[in-house]
Amino acid sequence: MGAGLARFARNRMALFGAAILLGLLLLVLATPALFPGDPFRLAGPALQPPGGRFLLGTDTLGRDVAAQIAYGARTSLLIGVGATLGAILFGVIVGGLAGYYRGAVEIVLMRVTEFFQTIPAFVLAILIVAILSPSVTSEIIAIAAVSWPGIARLVRGEFAALGGREFILACTGLGASDARIIFRHMLPNCTAPIIAVGSLLIGTAILIEAGLAFLGLGDPNVMSWGLIISAGRAVLRSAWWICTFPGIAILLTVLAINLVGDGLNEALNPRLRER
Amino acid sequence: MSQSPHLTKLSRRAVLALPVGLAAASGHGAAAEPRRGGTMVMIVHPEPSTLAHYAVTAGNIPPIATQVYEGLCTYDWDLNPQPNLARSWEIAPDGKTITFKLQEGVTFHNGKPFTSADVQYSFMEVLKKYNPIAPVMLTELTSVDTPDPLTAVLHLANPAPYLMKALSGRDLPILCKSVFEGTDVLQNPSANKPIGTGPFKFVSWERGQSVRLDRNEHYWKPGLPYLNRIIARFIPDAGTRSAAMEAGEAHFAAYSAVNYADLARMTSNPILGLTTKGYEMTPAQSVLELNGRHPQLQKKGVRQAIAYAIDRNVILRDVMYGYGQPATGPLSRKFKTAGLYTDDLRRFDVPDRLEIANRLLDEAGAPRGADSMRFGLHLEVNSFGEQWLRQAEYLKQALAPVGIDVTLRSEDTATWLRRVYTNYDYDLNEPFLSQGVDPVYGLNKQFLTSQIRKGVTFVNDMFYSNPEVDRMLDAGMREPDPIKRGDIYKKVQQILAEDCPMVWLIDVQYVSVFNTKLHDHTTGPLGTQQAFERAWMDK
Repeated sequence: MGAGLARFARNRMALFGAAILLGLLLLVLATPALFPGDPFRLAGPALQPPGGRFLLGTDTLGRDVAAQIAYGARTSLLIGVGATLGAILFGVIVGGLAGYYRGAVEIVLMRVTEFFQTIPAFVLAILIVAILSPSVTSEIIAIAAVSWPGIARLVRGEFAALGGREFILACTGLGASDARIIFRHMLPNCTAPIIAVGSLLIGTAILIEAGLAFLGLGDPNVMSWGLIISAGRAVLRSAWWICTFPGIAILLTVLAINLVGDGLNEALNPRLRER
Repeated sequence: MSQSPHLTKLSRRAVLALPVGLAAASGHGAAAEPRRGGTMVMIVHPEPSTLAHYAVTAGNIPPIATQVYEGLCTYDWDLNPQPNLARSWEIAPDGKTITFKLQEGVTFHNGKPFTSADVQYSFMEVLKKYNPIAPVMLTELTSVDTPDPLTAVLHLANPAPYLMKALSGRDLPILCKSVFEGTDVLQNPSANKPIGTGPFKFVSWERGQSVRLDRNEHYWKPGLPYLNRIIARFIPDAGTRSAAMEAGEAHFAAYSAVNYADLARMTSNPILGLTTKGYEMTPAQSVLELNGRHPQLQKKGVRQAIAYAIDRNVILRDVMYGYGQPATGPLSRKFKTAGLYTDDLRRFDVPDRLEIANRLLDEAGAPRGADSMRFGLHLEVNSFGEQWLRQAEYLKQALAPVGIDVTLRSEDTATWLRRVYTNYDYDLNEPFLSQGVDPVYGLNKQFLTSQIRKGVTFVNDMFYSNPEVDRMLDAGMREPDPIKRGDIYKKVQQILAEDCPMVWLIDVQYVSVFNTKLHDHTTGPLGTQQAFERAWMDK
């Protein structure tokens, strides 16, 4: 792991991404101090251009766009990380069971996984949120539900490969229980690829969340980047700043997460190490 | 070159400040002589699901259907009935008989002559049975006599003063008896291929694209219509609709087919004009309904406090882009012309409204808790468009300072309507309510005890029940004397404002956008919901 971090640190693009993410994290932590009060609060006159009393202007209801973006960052990260953790948890369980037990278990679980992979992710997410009615929890569930198949296939592959290795055979021979083999020996050996793929998933999750909120399927009580853009869309040609700044925020965040994810992938993936 | 007055270079604020200037923007035709010919493209949004205008009421059907179907009357700007298919009429002193003399020489588009038999059939066999407004408008109608082909006599069980307001082609269209007789009215093939007496004939409907209407060569009004053709185009995307108007591809967009947000830009386009005229008989309000079964909302003081806490001017300015007026009470200002509107009632737009709201809530036994909130309420977000989410976001902000913690809930249309009107599982609801041509339509539907009807949408879902209001609304229906009738409705409005079963937010104002090449497009209070028989275009 230590060597991996050193390799990561040599990757300039990954460091750049990490810096952006760090900045974002600081922004989220400082939000309550920087922008006290409700981001939905009508802070001033409507449609104020950026640069005046409001750094990034105000929207159609006179809400501070900068405050909205700061609070939106919290929502995006919360949902991005939450959905990814959910996807990893479920993906590891399904993939782990399939990869460890093989046979009929594997056939059933992997067919289900493939079934989910064939449904367009965003459409399925819309459907799930619409059924559960929009809230942060239902968004996390929906995004996790469309993100887990990738993890499941990855973990199944890793488990299948590990299953034939001598140290696992040795454990089996020594009479170790299935749980012990899975949690003590197999899982720790595939954390690296899970971290690499999972970090990329966060970016996708943030994009899906923004898309859902843009379509009016976000939690109406929680500020998010997609919601700001959807509210500003009607006045895009006369008040460019409402859509532009949250758009840049999404772009930078997803870019940063992808750079960091790629960096982690290169640093932790043994197959890429020789390159 | 004609000088049709239209608005240019007006900012949104200026538009707000100049409702009168806007109103003058159209209706007074150009001085130039009307020209024959031309094709007018109008944007209708959304595309209607049917053209069976006589059996379905939806705002997007009449712009097409009223070119084809006509009514017995049209209306002047003061909302008085004017001759159309009826040449003249006489109301008996007891108000229970209306005798219509019909125009001679009128034929339907299929060549059949128009007679009193068509009037009888339309009223008794189609409209009374299938038209959604019939349970109110035609409830007193018992029979139609036809002493001769050009005389139709309507017999009523009780006087129905409102009926004279509903005789336009939009509300009670006259159909051709021989087309419908002996068939299943709702399955009749003419539902989507309408046959009427109007200035334009239906030609074709390309689903998802357009409806084509051609000039009726045999129209009974001499020399009319001027236009050769009307194309009703359907454009689902709001941005594309605006662009079509700006590019001159379409000449008319009514019923706010152009987003309010885009109107400011339209006013600065030299080829476009805006008018708020033509909606005088289309009153509507946006309101906040309060569930009368909620333990807090049961209290009159709490309901009034909510009405005081909301600043309607913010909604008007920031959600409705300045189009409309802050509602003062249960009726839209558009009923002022008919002498039925009053603003002499409990007014919630007073300067010290927030103090009053807090006091009322204290008195109602709803003290502030540790987080300075008194209690929480759910608000169902109207799912019919972006602007309603903005309004909901504002309402949440407006109620927080008086200690009401609002949580928004947005669901798809079917779930929302079921939750509110079938399950009554809501606290606050923000619908948009059409008020019809007479208070018997809007007020009865919203406030009669008998209109607490599980599963029926946009009726009395507040469980409002006041025997006095029931009695007065009933009396108002039957009172033929306009002065006495006005007094009844003024009293009803005062009681309703006091009881405050809902919060009246905005008197909605639709806007039409037109190309300045098009003239005389808005010639009466029904606007686009009446025939474009006098509209004409520059070359």
